[in-house]
Amino acid sequence: MTAEPRPASSPRRSGYLLIYGILAALTAAEIWIATLSLAAAVRTPVFLTLSFFKASLVAAFFMHLKSDSRYYLLIFLLPVAVVVVFGLVMLIR
Amino acid sequence: MTQDAATHSGTFAAGRALGLDHLKLGTWLFLASEVMFFGGLIAAFLHYKVNSPSPQAGLLSVPLVGANTFVLLTSSFTVVQGLAAIRRGKRGGLMAYLALTILLGAAFLAGQAYEFSSLYREGVTLQSSVFGSSFFTLTGFHGMHVFTGLVWASSTLLRAARGHYSAEDHGGVEVFGLYWHFVDIVWIVLFTIIYLV
Repeated sequence: MTAEPRPASSPRRSGYLLIYGILAALTAAEIWIATLSLAAAVRTPVFLTLSFFKASLVAAFFMHLKSDSRYYLLIFLLPVAVVVVFGLVMLIR
Repeated sequence: MTQDAATHSGTFAAGRALGLDHLKLGTWLFLASEVMFFGGLIAAFLHYKVNSPSPQAGLLSVPLVGANTFVLLTSSFTVVQGLAAIRRGKRGGLMAYLALTILLGAAFLAGQAYEFSSLYREGVTLQSSVFGSSFFTLTGFHGMHVFTGLVWASSTLLRAARGHYSAEDHGGVEVFGLYWHFVDIVWIVLFTIIYLV
């Protein structure tokens, strides 16, 4: 099977290194924040935001969703949206 | 050409018209089903975490699992570097990065096995409590996915060693990468909801 040509906006090797550096830094920040005695009302949104940002970076750049077909993005995000709604319903009930 | 064959041919052409590679499309659909699979487990874990908080959650080690998270993030980096290498036609680079990925994935599983055994020694087991059940089910299934990824990586490495893949033909490497990065994303979410929040 022949692969599709690399999209023009696909990152180069230095771009991947930069993304990895950001992911590593965010993970280090998470571990550091976990050592602080923050109230749950503060730490929960902070950790969820950091997690969302990290997952988005991996999907956008390592999985190339930023530069690949929008159909792949739709296929991936639709069940994510369903799961988020389902999770919220489970928490509320 | 029979009518069935003509219909299939038309469907195939329609897929091409969308600019989609069928192997990648199938992989993304598989990953969509995996989102639903892990979504159910995560929702159940969150439900119990919020409604029946357990003191056993205090036994979890953030530094140990944080280090394991670094290992898995690094393995995602080596996978994407391997893909970049074969896109430049460097099969040796692909093989080196795949070998590194296998080592890092195995290190992650070793770290998880150490964590599991530590928790078992503390009395947290699959049957001991709702926390134990939901924790081991969720992280255990993720670990099984990492193990599957290791088998897939080994198979891809073996194919590369036999002369498969090139700058023009590297779809097999790309879909393996999609799976591995997805497993990484799942861990990013699990690390947050199990150990940090």
